[in-house]
Amino acid sequence: MRRVGSVAAIILLLAYAVPGFAETSGFQEAIFNPGLLKPVDSTVKVVIGQVAPDFSLRSINGGMVSLSQYRGKNKVVLSFVPAAWTPVCSDQWPGYNISRKIFADHNAVLLGITVDNVPTLHAWVQQMGGLWFEVLSDFWPHGRTADVYGVLRTDGMAERALFFIDTKGIIRGMSVTDINTRPLLEDLVRELAAMP
Amino acid sequence: MKTTALQLILTLCLFWSSSIISAGELATDKEFLPDLLLPIPQDEEYRNYLGLTGAGGSSFSLADIKADVLLIELFSMYCPYCQKEAANVNELYQRMEEVSTQGMVVKIIGLGVANSQFEVEHFRDTYRVPFPLFPDLDKSMFKALSGAGTPSFVGCRLNGQKEKPVVVVRKAGGFYNAEHFLKELLEKSGYQRQ
Repeated sequence: MRRVGSVAAIILLLAYAVPGFAETSGFQEAIFNPGLLKPVDSTVKVVIGQVAPDFSLRSINGGMVSLSQYRGKNKVVLSFVPAAWTPVCSDQWPGYNISRKIFADHNAVLLGITVDNVPTLHAWVQQMGGLWFEVLSDFWPHGRTADVYGVLRTDGMAERALFFIDTKGIIRGMSVTDINTRPLLEDLVRELAAMP
Repeated sequence: MKTTALQLILTLCLFWSSSIISAGELATDKEFLPDLLLPIPQDEEYRNYLGLTGAGGSSFSLADIKADVLLIELFSMYCPYCQKEAANVNELYQRMEEVSTQGMVVKIIGLGVANSQFEVEHFRDTYRVPFPLFPDLDKSMFKALSGAGTPSFVGCRLNGQKEKPVVVVRKAGGFYNAEHFLKELLEKSGYQRQ
């Protein structure tokens, strides 16, 4: 009898507790907020006009993706974001996800890169509902590609950075922006349009 | 002793229940819509939809919109849930147009939270949004409306020029069923879905 009473009490408590969670977004709850960070915490190591350093990184789709495989075929936009499951990053790429035509119109491919490992990136991208572009893990050796480009922060995350590379593999534009804010889409489009 | 503990738990639940009822009663107190200024759309079709007569580029207040009920969608081009909800919101607009022919006018606008004009237009073009969208790049309107993430919705009864617009519905997240949400919006505004 006592046990029945306890169970009834627990059920009652749960019944009252559930509505508190009913209207909140699961994605929002999953996001870790690191607070306000130092806007930029690294020094770029490449310059406009040089050949973009090649890399080969593991994709969440399986296999490796190299920058050099696009040479002579497509322009490439590298989008480094600091980390999975953080506020700004978690909506920057979904914005690019509805911009596929913009990239296609400029014969450009988009490569998304973070320093997270593949399982983490897989779960994060699934939560976003999937992405059309390659998402690459610069996890091990940790942040090596980010470091080569000069966008590895002292805390091990990458900067929020975009690199624009032409079909010959030359860097034609770059922007390392405040990690706490999202770069405007029109700025990306302008850089894309300016590439020869 | 055990009985006392159970009684205590049940008493707490009842107390909680009465707190919820009190909150509901408080929610019926009038919450006035903040007096937000937006640019009059350059597009004549949008000006006509909102019933605005001023020139494109000058500003208007939400209270100037010629409608009995106004729903404000807080969205972001970058928000995957807003992207997913876009078709539902377009359907809601269509249903609003249908009921607005029956002697009561209900309208919808969207505010692109932390979005530029370019980004708002990109969202509009991608999802063929038929109602006016406005950028809220600095999130000032989102904050003034006490927005609860994106997507979220603030429904209000406009009351013409007689009284300040009153908030009647707040919804965080998607509404999933346009018909049900419209019914809720109209009922809370004091109208019945025909």
